[in-house]
Formats: sequence, C-alpha cells, structure tokens
Amino acid sequence: MIGTLLAIARKDLIMFFRYPINAVFRIVEPIMWLTPAFFLGRGFSVDGTATGFAAYTGTGDFFSFILLGSLLGAYISAVFWGIGYSLKMEMDSGVLESNWMTPVPRLAFLVGRTLTSLVVTTLNCTGVLLASWLLFGFSAGGPVGKAMLITLPMLAGLYGFGFAFAGLVLLMRDANTLVDVSSFLVGELSGRGFPVTVLPRALMVISLVLPTTYGFDAVRALLLGTKPLLPLGVAAVVLVGFMVAMLVLGGMAFSAIERVCRARGTLGMH
Amino acid sequence: MNERQDAVEVVGLRKVFERRARRGLLRRAPNGAKTLIAVDGIDFRVKRGEIFGLLGPNGAGKTTTIKMLCTLLSPTSGTARVAGHDVVREAAKVRSSLGTVLTGERSVYWKLTGRENLRYYAALYRIPRRKARERIAELLERLELAGRADELVEKYSSGMKQRLALARALLPSPPILLLDEPTVGLDPQAARNLRQTIFDLQAEGKTVLLTTHYMAEADDLCDRIAIIDQGKVIALDSPAALKEGLGAKEGVRLEIQGEPNGLGDALRAVASVESVAVRPSANGVGTCELQVITSSSRRSIGPIIESVRAAGHEVVHFQVVQPTLEDVFISLTGKSLRD
Ligand SMILES: Nc1ncnc2c1ncn2[C@@H]1O[C@H](COP(=O)(O)OP(=O)(O)O)[C@@H](O)[C@H]1O
Ligand SMILES: [Mg+2]
Repeated sequence: MIGTLLAIARKDLIMFFRYPINAVFRIVEPIMWLTPAFFLGRGFSVDGTATGFAAYTGTGDFFSFILLGSLLGAYISAVFWGIGYSLKMEMDSGVLESNWMTPVPRLAFLVGRTLTSLVVTTLNCTGVLLASWLLFGFSAGGPVGKAMLITLPMLAGLYGFGFAFAGLVLLMRDANTLVDVSSFLVGELSGRGFPVTVLPRALMVISLVLPTTYGFDAVRALLLGTKPLLPLGVAAVVLVGFMVAMLVLGGMAFSAIERVCRARGTLGMH
Repeated sequence: MNERQDAVEVVGLRKVFERRARRGLLRRAPNGAKTLIAVDGIDFRVKRGEIFGLLGPNGAGKTTTIKMLCTLLSPTSGTARVAGHDVVREAAKVRSSLGTVLTGERSVYWKLTGRENLRYYAALYRIPRRKARERIAELLERLELAGRADELVEKYSSGMKQRLALARALLPSPPILLLDEPTVGLDPQAARNLRQTIFDLQAEGKTVLLTTHYMAEADDLCDRIAIIDQGKVIALDSPAALKEGLGAKEGVRLEIQGEPNGLGDALRAVASVESVAVRPSANGVGTCELQVITSSSRRSIGPIIESVRAAGHEVVHFQVVQPTLEDVFISLTGKSLRD
C-alpha cells in the first residue's frame, strides 16, 4: 500500500518538476503574499507592538500571527486542492478510468495524490520561513515539536473532508470554484488571517464549530503565547475526535457517491 | 479460470441511464428525468482463446458493455462474469484478470514518458520493481516503442499512444483483454499493425473481446461476432456463418448525384429488393451512396436503375458485390453501419 502511494506521489512529482522554472516559481511565490501583511502590521504598530491586536490575542506580534496562520492554511489548501482538483484533472484528461481499472482501492488514489501537494507545500513553507527569518527577523520560540504534533490530527481530519469533497467533484465535475471558495472559507473562518474573536457573533459561531479553528489556535498559543480558546489538552481531544469522525464520514460519503457515479456512468468523458 | 469455463459470460445484461436535462441553479428540469436504455438485455459468451467482436454502429451500446465488464459501470440488471468472477460481487478479482483499453490515447499521461507511464501503472498492479523493469522493457520492445520510450507521450503519434495504452493493459499479463474500438483514429498502416498484434496475442493464448464499428475489421479479426444495435444483440456467429446466413443474396452499391429524397422507399418497393440503406458519400462531391440487398441482382438491376432515373437522379457508379458483414447488418436493420 505504501509502495502504491509512493508511486502515485512520484508520478505527480515528476510531472510537477517537468517544467523546473514553473516549479521553482510556484515554490517561492507564497513569499510575496506575506510581504503586505508585514508592512500592514508595522503600520498599525506602536513601538513594534500592535496594541489593539494584542488586546484580542495576547500577543502584539501581528506578523508572526499571520505567518503561522498562512503556513497552516497552506496545508489546508494542499489537502483540498490535492484531492479535489487533481481528481478533476484526471477526469478531464481521461486517465481516471485507467487508474480506477487497476486493483488499487479508490481512496488510495485520493490520498496518494495529496502527497505531492504536501511536499510542495512543505517546500513553500520552508521558503516562507526562511524569507521571514532573513527579511523580517521572524524567529520561532516555544515547543515546535508539540505544535507540529497537534496539527497532525487536524490534517488527517481534513483528509476526511477532502474525501467527501472528492465525491462532490465526481458529481459536479466543474468544482474548481467550489474547491476555491470552500478552501478559502474554511481557512478564513478558522482564523488563518485574524483572531476569530474579532468576528461578529453569527460568523464566530461557525468559526467555533470548525475544529480547524482550535488547530490554528493551539499552534499559536504554543508558539506565540496567545490566549488559547480552549485548554490545549481539550483542543487536542477535539482535533483527534474530528480526525476520526471526518475520516470515517468522509470515506463513507466518497464511497457512496462513487457508487452513484458507477451507476450513472459519469466517471469518464462521456 | 478452470479449463472449461468461458472467459467472459454475459447473461441478460442491461444498462439504463437516467437522462438528466440540464438544470439551472434555481429552475427544476422542465420535463423530469428520462431514461435511456443503452444495453438492453444482452447475452453472449466468449470462449477462451477466442477473438470475439462486438460490432455495431455508434451508440449501439458497445462501450457501455465493455465498461460494465471492466467494473467502471454497474449493470442495471443481469450478470456478467469475467474469468469466472462476477463483475459486481468480485470486482477486485475481475480487475486483476483483465487488461482493458478504453479510449486508448487518453488513458496514459501525456506529460510523462512512455516508460514512466508503464512504471507507474506497474506499481498500481503491484508488480515488484525488478520484475516490472523487465516486463516494461519487453513490452516496449514488442510494441515497437523502445526507441522512443524516454520521450514525452505528447510527442507520440496516435498509433504510438494506442500501443502504449495496450502495453499498459498488458502489464499484469492478464488472460483476457478488452479493447474498445482499438483502431479508431489510426492510419491504415497503424491499424493493420495493431490487428497483427492482436493476432499475436491470441496466438499466445489470450482471449480478446473487442468492439468496432468497422465491419471489415470485425470480418478480418474476429472468430465470432455479436452484431449489436440499439442495445440488443441481433445476430451472433462467425463472420462466415453470418454472411452465409444471407444465402444467395447479393449486394448492390449505387452512387447517385444529389439528395436521395424518398428514393430509398421507391427502391424498397422494387420486387426482389430486400432492404436499402442510404448514406451520404463522404467524398465531398455531393453524391450519395445506396446499399441495396437483393435476392437476385439479375432481376432487380433493371428496375433499380429505372427507379433512380424516374426520381431524376444520375447514376454515377454501380456495382454488384458478394454480401459483406455490412450487408448482414443492413438486412437485419435496414440501415447502414456507418451512418
Ligand atoms: N454516462 C451516460 N449517461 C447517459 N447516457 C449514456 C452514458 N454513456 C452512454 N450513454 C448513451 O448510451 C448509448 C450507448 O452508448 P455507447 O455504449 O457509448 O455506444 P457505442 O460505444 O456502441 O458507440 C448512447 O446513446 C449514449 O449516448
Ligand atoms: Mg463506443
């Protein structure tokens, strides 16, 4: 099984690096997105501390807050895009059927295809961190290992979400916008770019229902010393619960939809 | 698969599609869901080692049948077994006994080289790495791709892409091959080579189930043929037996100038004419072709030419031919295979 996943990832990586200039550009590109956040943060700061911001979060370090949010957010989009978008690409180019005629379980294709986008995202993030350190003097303190550990169940849970999502792509085919919008909304409402406590009541309710919110929050609490929404232990339990529930539900949803598609005959290029 | 078992066994297989009218975001479809019977209860058996053809016009249900056999589509009803395994209940076993080429050219990654493609698919079939390397080299050699194995597939010709797709299907050494319109889009030479490859595969003991809408191809390649039209098998036998079934009948091919308005019916009224198919000639000079089946060309040639003249047409070309599979199809359905 691992061999199969690696073969899928390898194939995607070969294609990603087939045009090296393009690949390099896609890896360094995210660095540019962060630059405005840095200057924006500086603009609102008094003596290097964004005071209004600090009142909401417990840290005046606006830039680091945004930076961590962006890094985690990048992994969220990686899972969304890795699953939904690549499924659509393979449907459109016609290779989906020849993949699905092999004895490999279909969920394995979904997981396998995100591996490459996770690798690319990790390269992105490394680049961003390096640039942040060199250009903006960012340095991470705190228990980095623990912070990474707590993001694992969050990512795994997102896979479950991605499975269900893949089902939608199978049904609707033209899901680019859907992928974009939902990845954006989940990212924003989880507090990728701001503390969710600033949201109006109605939106905050949605935020607090999204387990990813607690993932973002916990990582920041650990690394930046922000006030956490939930005690860390509780956040970890929430995230593990989310992971199990989402993997099971997402897998079931995908299988059910896939069965519908096999009846309707909408997998190929009819 | 034990000795006496059929390679493929299809009983009462049916596929009904729900035709959804396109729906707007807020509007409901005006006339609800309609159904389309793509495959309408077909039966056939493919013997081991045989080349078996599904011959029929576009939309007859050939691809739908193949997709049900390779587990990409679930049947609405009926059963199908491949190498003794049920396509619904034992889908995984079916998938590992089959090599399938659907839309050949599109079933491989254009942004990978031929070799990279095969390496990828070999991993999906869980062929151990060393064995895969040998098998890939052997298949590339045999399908005459070895020289360009390390070029991107997008630079390949149609014929090469089709051969690569076949190599992909052959990777797990499946006992049974399903080929959907394998020579479509190939130039005549490439098509001839591919047919030779199919014969070679048969000689190695493989069973081949293929579809085609080229009657000459079916005639040349297949040991037995199921003629399929509108989802139904309307005849099933060896090509020779199908043609003999027409007995002493003969085919008359007429090419006339202009549109055949109503001429088909006029010809059908001629004594000893059994069926008539009309199709526009694809020659770009504004003629069209009539394919007539008659129990006696001697008695019908005169009246046929008179009817054509009476309708104000000029006969450009005229020929009496031995019945072909095309004539079998015309006599069964009253229409041409190549509409
Ligand atoms: N997924 C589908 N949904 C709806 N109708 C379909 C689908 N696939 C095929 N059909 C219809 O089923 C009929 C048979 O198609 P097909 O099996 O592709 O024919 P062939 O391969 O013989 O040309 C056609 O009328 C086609 O339009
Ligand atoms: Mg077809």
